[in-house]
Amino acid sequence: MSDAPLVFAPRPADPPPPSTIGVVGWMRANLFSSVPNAILTFLGIYIFYVVVSAIVNWALVNAVWEAENRRQCLDMVGRSGACWPGVAAWIPNLIYGLYPKDQVWRINTGFLILIAWAVPLWLPRVRSKVAIGLSLVLAYPFLASYFFHGGQQTLVWTALIALGATAFAWTWLTSLAEMRFGLGFGPLVARLFGAADDERARRIGWGALAALYVLTFVIVSQLDFVEVQTRFWGGLFLTLVISGIGIAFSLPAGVVLALGRRSEMPLIRVFCVTFIELFRSVPLITILFMFNTMLPLFLPEGVEVNRLLRAIVAVCLFASAYMAEIVRGGLQAIPKGQYEAAAAMGLGFWQSTSLIILPQALRIMIPSIVGNFIGLFKDTTLVSIIGLFDLLSMSRAVGEDTRWLGLFIEPFFFITLIYFVFCFLMSQYSLNLERRLGEGQRR
Amino acid sequence: MSAAIELVGVSKWYGGFQALKGLDLTVAEGERVVVCGPSGSGKSTMIRCINQLERHQKGDIRIHGQALTGEPKRDAPILRETGMVFQSFNLFPHMTVLENCTFALSWVKQMPLAEAEAIAMSHLERVRIPEQAKKYPLQLSGGQQQRVAIARALCMAPRIMLFDEPTSALDPEMIKEVLEVMVELAGTGMTMVVVTHEMGFARTVADRVVFMDQGEIVEQAAPEVFFSAPRYDRTRLFLSQIL
Ligand SMILES: Nc1ncnc2c1ncn2[C@@H]1O[C@H](COP(=O)(O)OP(=O)(O)OP(=O)(O)O)[C@@H](O)[C@H]1O
Ligand SMILES: [Mg+2]
Repeated sequence: MSDAPLVFAPRPADPPPPSTIGVVGWMRANLFSSVPNAILTFLGIYIFYVVVSAIVNWALVNAVWEAENRRQCLDMVGRSGACWPGVAAWIPNLIYGLYPKDQVWRINTGFLILIAWAVPLWLPRVRSKVAIGLSLVLAYPFLASYFFHGGQQTLVWTALIALGATAFAWTWLTSLAEMRFGLGFGPLVARLFGAADDERARRIGWGALAALYVLTFVIVSQLDFVEVQTRFWGGLFLTLVISGIGIAFSLPAGVVLALGRRSEMPLIRVFCVTFIELFRSVPLITILFMFNTMLPLFLPEGVEVNRLLRAIVAVCLFASAYMAEIVRGGLQAIPKGQYEAAAAMGLGFWQSTSLIILPQALRIMIPSIVGNFIGLFKDTTLVSIIGLFDLLSMSRAVGEDTRWLGLFIEPFFFITLIYFVFCFLMSQYSLNLERRLGEGQRR
Repeated sequence: MSAAIELVGVSKWYGGFQALKGLDLTVAEGERVVVCGPSGSGKSTMIRCINQLERHQKGDIRIHGQALTGEPKRDAPILRETGMVFQSFNLFPHMTVLENCTFALSWVKQMPLAEAEAIAMSHLERVRIPEQAKKYPLQLSGGQQQRVAIARALCMAPRIMLFDEPTSALDPEMIKEVLEVMVELAGTGMTMVVVTHEMGFARTVADRVVFMDQGEIVEQAAPEVFFSAPRYDRTRLFLSQIL
């Protein structure tokens, strides 16, 4: 039979030439592809080696780990090695400032509560994440300020602290209930009581919350923390307080200002534009100075605003003005058709803004928002200028201690690491967030 | 019985430029009207005035006999009887197809989620893409996106559907799948106002063709009359250019 089809037998695949794969291939392609490239590679390696070995020698190899004072360090290694005992002796102050040693547990507990409050936001199957996030931003400050500041409780004060404590308890009860039973805390209690209809279930849910509030109120009123005035606050603790409040305040305030700037009501628009432009065109240092020295002049006689509060207000206003412009940029990137589609389906302004526009805009803006947070975190070092002992000024105080006189570089090195770790984590988290939120929705 | 849509002397200015010059138009219930005309003639402006995406400055608009007042709160229930489909789809990219459809049901009509999803799925089946419900809009083709947009509008159970050039951003084979859905919709007796240059659609589906130029309605007639014996020179010129 002459017309039987030919059989096609595929040839086995050859391996790629060895010079193009593996470590050697990669190095040949990227580091030594030409003579100038090779020279640059060697130069780069050399510079890297010189810098890193100098740092390692100073910070680790030649460093002194045990000494009574700086004199002993200098006698042992001179200036060729770091004198870490000075930093170690000051670590409590670098972290807590002049906060009384026997009260430091309150700061730690306060921050642990913050972390515990935020944990449900990352837990799977927790559905009330928006409510939890809001409760955190709105209610945690009351709880935290009592832990950090303490002092006499008035009735209103106790009520607010109990509100914070209730919100915290609710967060965990509702998270556990949702993870275990797929129901929030209120509905779960209603189920246990066998509520007949929605209306009764809702009433039982609120009743349970009220009971929780009464309980926390009783507990909170038993607490008796001695007052620690803010002039004893300092170090990393103070830095975190200022930047934390600045961050938590500036995002919502920025959104409000940005919306105001686009408002059709002239009065609101003019106010927002003036505010934003004013605060954006003045350096933060100037604003801090203004608030510190001039604010008392405008206030009535006898009204004293705490120095820390003045700094926090200044930082918040400054950060919100910047945030407002970032948010406005994000809002502008959303096509008009999105508003129109929402309006055509009968959504009002607030619904379409909060559910359609902002979620999209905030997603685009994550990198700039986190960039702004990082900037804010580092800018808090400026408060040292108006006499607050943040991390930076605390590190300078080490070298003024008579035992460690002149020890400046080591504490700087140490706080540089602290700043780096915080900023690096923020930036990594933002990259991660961006990747996760963008899944399936890239244009 | 009152008309579905009634425009009486509707004028609209953008700054000093008059985009609509005293339009009069009545659309009966269940009627299918195709609007055509050259670019810039005011077709979009008219259809956007009907559901108040643009506010007209003069004249009256009545939907099922109820006049629009220009006051968002009072107009909202009246406007809920209209649904709109846009040239650029305008789906919400951060929500899945299903969420796009259930969204307004939950937030405007306060419907429980399960019920809203059942309604959404029934409309997605109607436009023949139930299997895409869990995807995000930008993972779909243009034709599929436009069909989702139609389903999304239908979920709100409007009695009037407005289309503003629903197929002009699409490739030819996708135009067909969208037009098929629209023809089917016309078969259900829905009142429809469609701005389009698809004259085949106008011929087979429309009860009436409206021709606009320079913010005015030049002429309107049943499609067989409109295409075979247009009365105005302007209409003839337009038809000679697009046919
Ligand atoms: N927001 C606006 N501001 C100013 N002028 C506008 C605006 N929208 C439309 N116009 C003008 O109004 C006129 C009518 O516009 P419209 O969009 O209604 O036309 P159209 O018939 O839909 O055209 P096309 O076929 O290009 O969509 C045009 O001259 C246009 O330039
Ligand atoms: Mg148009």
